[in-house]
Amino acid sequence: MSAARVLRAPGFPRAGLGILIAVGFSYGITTLVRALYGWGPTIDGEAVTTVALIAGPFGFLIGLGAFDYWFRWARGAPTIPEDHSGHGARTWKDYFRVNTDHKVIGIQYTVTSFFFLLVGGLMAMLLRAELAEPGMQFVNANAYNGLFSVHASVLIFLFIIPVFAGLANYVLPLMIGAPDMAFPRLNALSFWMLPVAGTLFLLSFFAPGGSFSTGWTAYAPLSVNAPLGQTFFTVGVQFAGASSIATALNFLVTIITMRAPGMSFFRMPLLVWANFSTSLLVVIATPFIAASQFFVLLDRALGFNFFYAPKGGDVLMYQHVFWFYSHPAVYIMMLPGFGIISEILAVKARKPIFGYRMMAFSLLAIVVLGFTVWAHHMFVSGMQSWIRVPMMITTAVIAVPTGIKIFSWLATLWKGVLHLDTPMLFALGFLTMFTLGGISGVMLAMIPFTIHVSDTYFIVAHIHYVLFGGSLFTIFAGVYYWFPKMTGRMFDERLGKWHFWTTFIAFNCTFAPMHLIGIEGMPRRVADYSQQYAGWNLFISCASFVVGLSTLIFVYNMVKSWRGGMKAPANPWRAMTLEWQVSSPPPIFNFDTIPTVVGGPYEYGVPGAVHGVFKGAEVKSTAEPAEAGTAPAGD
Amino acid sequence: MEAGALPLHDLPDHGDHHGPPEANRSSRVDPQVLGMLLFIISEVMVFGAFFTAYFFIRVVNGDAWPAQGDELPKLVAGFNTAILLSSSLTMHWTVVAAKANNRFAMKAGIFTTFLLGLSFLFIQVNEYVHIGFAPSSSAQASIFYGLTGLHGAHVFIGLLLLFIVMVRVFRGHFTPEHHDGIEVPGIYWHFVDIMWVVVYTTVYIL
Repeated sequence: MSAARVLRAPGFPRAGLGILIAVGFSYGITTLVRALYGWGPTIDGEAVTTVALIAGPFGFLIGLGAFDYWFRWARGAPTIPEDHSGHGARTWKDYFRVNTDHKVIGIQYTVTSFFFLLVGGLMAMLLRAELAEPGMQFVNANAYNGLFSVHASVLIFLFIIPVFAGLANYVLPLMIGAPDMAFPRLNALSFWMLPVAGTLFLLSFFAPGGSFSTGWTAYAPLSVNAPLGQTFFTVGVQFAGASSIATALNFLVTIITMRAPGMSFFRMPLLVWANFSTSLLVVIATPFIAASQFFVLLDRALGFNFFYAPKGGDVLMYQHVFWFYSHPAVYIMMLPGFGIISEILAVKARKPIFGYRMMAFSLLAIVVLGFTVWAHHMFVSGMQSWIRVPMMITTAVIAVPTGIKIFSWLATLWKGVLHLDTPMLFALGFLTMFTLGGISGVMLAMIPFTIHVSDTYFIVAHIHYVLFGGSLFTIFAGVYYWFPKMTGRMFDERLGKWHFWTTFIAFNCTFAPMHLIGIEGMPRRVADYSQQYAGWNLFISCASFVVGLSTLIFVYNMVKSWRGGMKAPANPWRAMTLEWQVSSPPPIFNFDTIPTVVGGPYEYGVPGAVHGVFKGAEVKSTAEPAEAGTAPAGD
Repeated sequence: MEAGALPLHDLPDHGDHHGPPEANRSSRVDPQVLGMLLFIISEVMVFGAFFTAYFFIRVVNGDAWPAQGDELPKLVAGFNTAILLSSSLTMHWTVVAAKANNRFAMKAGIFTTFLLGLSFLFIQVNEYVHIGFAPSSSAQASIFYGLTGLHGAHVFIGLLLLFIVMVRVFRGHFTPEHHDGIEVPGIYWHFVDIMWVVVYTTVYIL
C-alpha cells in the first residue's frame, strides 16, 4: 500500500497524523489568539501544551477511526451497511483497532487496565523503596509527591474503575442474553478514551516541573498554582470520566432494553444488578468531578477566580464538588466487585444465594445513601461545623446495607460444599479483608477519631484494605472465574493458589502495621519520617516487595495459560448463568437464538431447576443431574 | 439512524458467520431515547456542579451579586430567552411534521429552529463583548461566565446536531416510521432550552 493510502485508512498511522495536525492546530490557534489580544509572549509553551492536551486526543481518536461512522452519518452520506466486519477478533491485530464487539472490547479493557495496574504497582514499589528507611534515598521530595499522585490516579481512574467495566462488558450482555451492547460504536469509543487518559497521566512526568504532585484529590488552590504537569491530570480525568459515563449509559440502556425473554429484573444475576447500580452512580456523580476539573482548568488557563479568595473565590467549594463525586466513586469501585463475589460464592458453594432480593435492594440503598455522606472526607477542612454530625450519622448508616451483603454471603456459605479453588479463595479473601476495611471505615466515620488520625497512615491502611483487599481481590476472583470463558483456556490452578496465598499474606503484612503507625501519628504523603517509625517501615517495605513479586506469578500464569493452557469446556464451574451455556470462548454473535429465561440464576442444588432454555437445542444442562445426589439440600 | 436495520443480502459471504440474532426488546422505551435521557441526567449534574459553585460564591460567602459596579442586561437576555423558547416550539413542529410526513413543514421547522438558535448564540456573544467585565474581574464574574458559557457551549453543540439534522432533512432521509434522528436531537434541544430558563432565572433575575 502506498503511504497516502495508509494515512487515509483508519488505524495507528492516521492516528499519529491526527495528533500532529492537532498539535499544529493548537500552536496556530494559541499564537493567533495571543497575538490578537496582544498578550506577551505571543508564543507561550504552556498555553500551546494546554490546548494540545485537549485537541491531541481528539486527533488521535478521529485518526484511529472511532468517529468514522458518525462523520459519514453527519455529512448525510449513505452509511456503509453493517457487514459486521468490525465484529470479533481473528488475529491479535484486531485488538489494536476500533472494534465494536463487546467481547473484544471487554478484553481490550481488561488487558489495558491490567497494564496500568502493573505501572501503578511499580510506582508503589518505588515509593516503598524510598520509605524503607528514614531520610531521602532514591527520589527527591517533589518526585515522591509526583509518584504517589500518579500511583493513586492511575490505579483509581485507569485500573479499578475500567477493569470492572471491562469484565462486565464481556460477560454482562452474555448474562442477560443479548447479542451485544446497545450502542457498540459508543462502546468502542469509551474504550479508546482510556489509553488516552492513561497516556496523559504518564506523559506528565516529562512536563517541566515534574508530574502532577497534588495527590489524586488535586485540591485547589494547590492544583491551580502547581506546575504544568497538573494540566495533564486535569485534562486526563475528563477523558477517563467521559469514558466511564459513556460506558455506564451503555450498560443501563442494555440492561433495560435488551434482556432475554423471561428475564425479569428479579431474575437477573447479581452481577447485572451490581453494574446497574454502579452505572446509576456513574451517570449521576461523574459529571461532578468533570466540573471540578473544569473549574481548575478555567482558573489555570483563562484566569477565572473560582478558587482565588481575594476576589471572592471559595476553596472549600472544590472539596464539596470533588467529594460529591469521589465518595460515590468508592462505591463505583466496589459495587461491581460485590456482583462478582455473589456470582462466585453461589457457584462455588453450590447453594442458592441467600437473600437475593435483599442483595439487590441493598445495592440500590448504597446508591442512594452514597450521595449523602461526601463531607465525611472534610471533617478537618474547616467547613461549617453543623454539617459534621449529620454526615457522621449517614456514614454509619451506609454500613448497614453493606452489612446486609456481608451476612448474606456468610449465610450463602453456611453448610455449603465449598470448592476452594483460586476464584473462591480470592472471594473468601475479599470477604475477610473487606470486612476489616469496612470496620476501620466505621471507625473513621466517628468525628473525634477521624480528627486524631486524619492524614496519617491509618487512612492509607483503610483505603488499601478496601481498594486492594476489597476491590482488587474481587477483580482477581473475577478474572480467574471468567478466564476460561474469555480465553477458551484453563488457568494453572497450582500457580493460582500460590498467587493467592503470597498476595494474601504479604498484603496483610504490608497494610496491617500501617494502622499502628497511623495511630501513633506517622503522616501520609511525606517522603521522610521520624526515626521512631523506622522498624515498621522497613518491615512494610519488604512485605510490599513480596506483593509485587506475587503479582508476577499472576502475570506469568495468565500469559502462559492464555498461550498454551488446557482447552476449557463450555461450563467448567457447572454454573447456571447464561454466559456459561455457550461455548468457551462464545461464538461471534453470542447466541444462535436468544434463550428464554424460566427461573432464577442461582438455584444450585435445587433438583430440576432451570435458568435459561435454548430453543432447538436440548436443554443445556443447568441444574446438575449427576450432582443432585452429592449436592447438599440447600436448607 | 441505525445501519443495523439495512438489508444484509448483498454482503460478501463470510462463510463462518451470519448476522447476530435479533435482540429481545425487554422494554417499550426506545434505546436511543433512553440513552439521550440518561445523557441529559449527566448534563443536569454538570450544571448542578456549576450551580454549586454559584451557591457557594453567592449564598455561602454572601457577596454582592453581581459584583460591585457590574450590571447584567436583564432585558436583552430576557428577549434572548424568548428566542430560545420559540425555537423549542419550532423544533416540536418539525417532529410533528416528520410524523405526518409533511416534507415542507419539516424543512421550514428545522431551518427556523436552527436560525433561532444561531441568533441566540450571536446575541449571547454580543452581550459578552459589551458587558464590561471579564472572568478575571471577580469570582462573581467567573461564575457568570462559567454558567452562561457552559450553557453557550451546549447551545453550540445543539446547533451542530441541528445542522446535521437539517442536512438530512433536506436530503429526505426521514420517514414517518424512522425519525429518531430528528426526535433524539430534539430532546437534547428542549433540554438546552429548559436549562436556559433555570440559568436565566438564577443568574439574571434573582
